[in-house]
Amino acid sequence: MKCEQIAELLPDFLRGGLKREQAEIVERHLNECAECRDEAAVWEKLALLPAAEPSPAGRRRFEEMLRAYQAGQAEQAASFAGLQLTPRRAAFGWLRSPLVQLAGGLALVAIGFLLGNGLNRVRSQSDDLATVRTELTNMRQLVVISMLQQQSASERLQGVSYSQREARLDPQVLAALLHTLRYDSSVDVRLAALDALSSHAGQPQVRTGVTDALQAQQSPLVQVALIDQLLEWRDPDSVQRLRNFQQSPNLNPTVRERAAWAVSKLQ
Amino acid sequence: MQRRFEADAENSPRMISVADEELMLQVRNGEGDMLGVLFERYHVPLFNFYARLMGDRTVSEDLVQEVFLRILRYRETYQPGTPFRPWMYQIARNARMDHYRKAPRHETFEPDIVPPVVPPDSAQQQQEDALLHRALMQLSEDKREVLILARFQELKYTEIARLLGCELNTVKTRVHRALRDLREAFRQLEQGVQKNPSGSAAPDISLGRAGQ
Repeated sequence: MKCEQIAELLPDFLRGGLKREQAEIVERHLNECAECRDEAAVWEKLALLPAAEPSPAGRRRFEEMLRAYQAGQAEQAASFAGLQLTPRRAAFGWLRSPLVQLAGGLALVAIGFLLGNGLNRVRSQSDDLATVRTELTNMRQLVVISMLQQQSASERLQGVSYSQREARLDPQVLAALLHTLRYDSSVDVRLAALDALSSHAGQPQVRTGVTDALQAQQSPLVQVALIDQLLEWRDPDSVQRLRNFQQSPNLNPTVRERAAWAVSKLQ
Repeated sequence: MQRRFEADAENSPRMISVADEELMLQVRNGEGDMLGVLFERYHVPLFNFYARLMGDRTVSEDLVQEVFLRILRYRETYQPGTPFRPWMYQIARNARMDHYRKAPRHETFEPDIVPPVVPPDSAQQQQEDALLHRALMQLSEDKREVLILARFQELKYTEIARLLGCELNTVKTRVHRALRDLREAFRQLEQGVQKNPSGSAAPDISLGRAGQ
């Protein structure tokens, strides 16, 4: 059998997925053909490549994330129990959910769209679509702001990830995200806020806000993420800020090292 | 042979009591703790997936975190009956693409993953590992990915096909082509070493950076 025909069988052969008959055909070929034999040998050698060990910090980061999530869940359960006590709120409580509010808003926009369409057929359809899109964007942004103010960490987290659906954010939303980055009680939410803000580096308030957040930050995890972000932006102004930060007392040694590394990269 | 046994252990049925899918369903129902079990099972394979693919420790660690964060965030999209591992790797691939979108890949590729120090069963074995690692890094990322998925990540060819959005036969062809290129790259590196046997250390950039 020729190499091309063997090539079709080889991937299955290597994973032991061939019937005996076909496997024997391949084996016979391998005995005769050095090229194909080498391929099989390289496949075997791959399995010998030792696996790398991730650093133990990864597990800590994961656990922190999980804790933040569970804290959020617990708060949610508590507020649900609160709702149970007051039947009126329980019956209509779901109306207060941001997502329901969003759905209601969407329905209103849709009605408005249909009405507008009916009343004014002269306007082109693309104009209408553009209007609807703008309204949708505005509404989403309102939802983000309201979600960022929720009690539970998981809802705030949802708010942050919700904000990432918009390519451009209003200054108020950016301000809310910056506030979250600085003051949110959950590390996970703060990290997510930074992630969301990172794609809005074009706005000067974002860069300034993120740089300012570094001094105020207590969690080493967020500090490192902020340093990485500043490095990614390569903003010449951040060098001095990082140098000052590096000098601050009581800094976690890893964070100090990271800051020094970032400064060296930025120079 | 000892090492070989360990390396193959990931392909043998694992000693587990609860299936991944069952755990994921519990995560979906709000049992966040169960994600801890999935983390224990998969953070090392995921880390190695990224590390072998991208050659960057820090990025790989970040992406592993991102995968588990996304699993939590999108837990409700997990449908009962979906095999967990391919679902997870789908998330892992998306996370990597989003990463590239944010930080475009560098033109000069300098792997900083060094094969970890292993008990020296033989200097020759270590040198071979280093060469094979370099050969793997010389492949195009597409080829490297399909090879890594097939060899290290415990995925069936059908699952890889779904993951990459192509036909089953295409996956096998791609695996074979990648393997052929790897053999070629490995052979050339080996010949280079034989021509220039300056000690046991291969002239490897990554080894050079290990001391830093």
